[in-house]
Amino acid sequence: MFIGRDIDRIDVLDKVLGKPIFAYDLKVEGMLFGCIYRSKRPHALIKKIDIQDALSLNGIVKVITHADIPGENAFGAIKKDQFYLAGDKVRYIGEPILIILGESEKIVRKALNSIKVEYEDIEAIYDPFSSRDSTTLIHDTGNLLSYRTVIKGDFEQGFNESDVVVEHTYKTTWLDHAFMETESGIGYMDETGKIVICSSTQNVHYKRKEISKLLALPEDRIRVIQATTGGGFGGKLDMTVEGYIALSVYLTKRPVVMRFTREESFLSNTKRHPLYIEYKTGAKKDGSINAVKVNIIGDTGAYISYGETVCLRAAIHATGPYEVPHVFVESRMFYTNNHISGAMRGFGIPQVAFAHESQIDEVALLLNMDPLEVRMKNGLRRGSLTATSQLLTNSAGFLETLKKIEPFWKARKKQGLHTGFGLGCMYYGIGNTGVSNPSSCYLTFTDEGKIAFHSGVCEIGQGSDTALLQILLETLNVEERDVVLLRGDTDTSNDAGSSSASRQTYVSGRAVYDAALKMRKYLKSKGYYDCETLRGVCLLAKEEGLPVFEGFFDPPTSPVDSKTSQGIPYATYAFATHMTEIDVDKATGFCKVKKVHASHDVGKAINLKNVKGQIYGGIAMGVGLALMEEFVPSKTESFDSYYIPTSMDMPDVEIFIVEDEEPTGPFGAKGLGEPALIPQAASIVNAIKDAVGVRAFELPCHIERLKALIESEKDKWVE
Amino acid sequence: MVTIDFTLNGKRVTVDVNDNETLLFTLREKLSIKSVKEGCSIGECGTCTVLIDDETHYSCLTLSSKVTGRDVKTVEYLGNIIELHPLQEAFISCGAVQCGYCTPGMLLSAYSLLLKNKDPQDEEIKRAISGNLCRCTGYIQIIEAIRYAAGILKQNC
Repeated sequence: MFIGRDIDRIDVLDKVLGKPIFAYDLKVEGMLFGCIYRSKRPHALIKKIDIQDALSLNGIVKVITHADIPGENAFGAIKKDQFYLAGDKVRYIGEPILIILGESEKIVRKALNSIKVEYEDIEAIYDPFSSRDSTTLIHDTGNLLSYRTVIKGDFEQGFNESDVVVEHTYKTTWLDHAFMETESGIGYMDETGKIVICSSTQNVHYKRKEISKLLALPEDRIRVIQATTGGGFGGKLDMTVEGYIALSVYLTKRPVVMRFTREESFLSNTKRHPLYIEYKTGAKKDGSINAVKVNIIGDTGAYISYGETVCLRAAIHATGPYEVPHVFVESRMFYTNNHISGAMRGFGIPQVAFAHESQIDEVALLLNMDPLEVRMKNGLRRGSLTATSQLLTNSAGFLETLKKIEPFWKARKKQGLHTGFGLGCMYYGIGNTGVSNPSSCYLTFTDEGKIAFHSGVCEIGQGSDTALLQILLETLNVEERDVVLLRGDTDTSNDAGSSSASRQTYVSGRAVYDAALKMRKYLKSKGYYDCETLRGVCLLAKEEGLPVFEGFFDPPTSPVDSKTSQGIPYATYAFATHMTEIDVDKATGFCKVKKVHASHDVGKAINLKNVKGQIYGGIAMGVGLALMEEFVPSKTESFDSYYIPTSMDMPDVEIFIVEDEEPTGPFGAKGLGEPALIPQAASIVNAIKDAVGVRAFELPCHIERLKALIESEKDKWVE
Repeated sequence: MVTIDFTLNGKRVTVDVNDNETLLFTLREKLSIKSVKEGCSIGECGTCTVLIDDETHYSCLTLSSKVTGRDVKTVEYLGNIIELHPLQEAFISCGAVQCGYCTPGMLLSAYSLLLKNKDPQDEEIKRAISGNLCRCTGYIQIIEAIRYAAGILKQNC
């Protein structure tokens, strides 16, 4: 039995020995170093580019401009609006303009200073409200990227029927993924003339498609391989180094390596979207939430990346894991001349969870009810209609997550003067929103008589390799030693989609299960489960022409209505409740997170040790989101000005797993990567209110901000 | 350019280095020790941690010319595939590894701690690894692993 067992990660032995090859550890003979010259202006026309001084430097081999691109100078996960290399216009500080290639990193970085670009500045727009009102256009299509609405029931009627109404505005800021390994990769032309890219990435097939368009080469002339990847969190979904390396290899016919410094990573990588959320909740005396009206304004920066996805996802999830009869949500995403915001663990939901969980607590306060009771009363369950009127018929273990926390909530006791407890809850749709997002894989046999598992799923540290292998072993009833995993290589795998949206265990897990069922049938027919050895079956199979067993799964969803967003955007949802205990030093504003009780409905925990690892890591990121992390444009450069939680910032954590099995998932499993983070910041904000009586409406509620809040509350008392 | 010699993982090595060359560069580029990672190059993240005379140092901030005659250890010293160090075993069994980028530095900080403190309290463990950032794990399983390895090492004494 492999499901639910704490088997060790399959890559862990190498990792404790320091052996894995990350992209920057790779070396190819004759390799050039590549570096990107980036815009120093937020919004400007490029009048002139002078590369002569750089080219004259000893060791500089080539400087590549947009004019050198053989195919399309455009990429983007959702829409192809981003330029690899800017031509006539730049739209944010950090936008790539040139690639400089040379014999060493040192010489190339030196050459950056020899480039001269003349700009003609255009008015720059730094916030979504100015963007909305400005006549200056960042793109010809206008400054509004996306406008989505969720309409269910009649919100006006809903508020009229309500006995209490709470209304507040919540703000969040930019966050960086801050993966430990910065963006990096190498590329070369193999003996067949194929361009091979090996990089730190969350998706290989998507990147092959983009490179194919960039170089105007068929996809079979491109091979993308995932190197061991040092964290992703959404920041390695977009093209980072891959296009630039491919272009450099294509033009120079030499191997090329590229690696961003931490400063470049902070400057160039996508960020978590800052959201401005106006939120109004109406509730009846008995505690039932009757109406919710939300207005979300987001800053997507200069290009789309995942801006539209976050716009819609935030809107759909705005009511939280509660059944609300009357819903009206508007969500707008505006272009600005800030750096690009994109996918980051949760796609906008950690931000809206901060808002809806704050509101639920305010409702409870007004009604003099227990916050847990209000959540229990309104919580989604089987038979509930979500904000998009999706009927939950299967796995929906939200109330069970609350019940796991309930005894600790009831027994909570403030230890110190400024101790507080807070709840945070969430639901999260697994997989992409209302669109097909299939995964495929295949199984066959190796010459050595083993099962070859060909997987296109990118392992970014989250443990997908191990979870998928467990699903395979369980279905086939074979041992780990019987399987060879060939993963993350476009030449040896089918497209599994990106490692994003908490989808790999659920979507790709089901695809693996599908392939394994087919292989099991074959093995059975060949007598494997009776007396034949695997080696024997393999030899026989080889003679008959090696069979290939393909697995496929596309979660059953339907596109949501363009006006009301009503529909079935996700096949299944994860649910969670966190309860957090904190301690505030009123004099300094320092908030210590002491203990978290975290309860998650994961459908089925394929590997409990790894499930726990996801939850601990999510909590750490939630602590950062709530209290520490703030990317300040033009100020934040590296880890000396961007603080992520250290071991000293981590609370004690107790984990409770709810397994409301999802029938469409492999062995009932859903997803967890993002859910682990989503409720954490919200629970801290509610705990701060409980501890010192002040409510944070802006994140991060860092030490200065919390101190100012406490001071302003004091002033009120004096008045 | 100066020639330095020092002990690397128990073996004496001689290497030519530039005056301003960092130990991180020398180890990775001249001595092929790729387990030492660069995360920020300004001494904030700890992925480049090495031991010099069993004390933790950021190799990105250490000049190679300063390690002449000293004892430098990287994760390769701790154990190998045949015989893992109890810390490595504990990192495996406790689930203390996800992406693995911080792991070598984290193991060395833990190793240095256990040399000095056979029976560390959780707060002492947290402090010892507070200079090693990890974005994946939330540190808890790392702390558990170090506590567990300390117990094993004590038994072995």
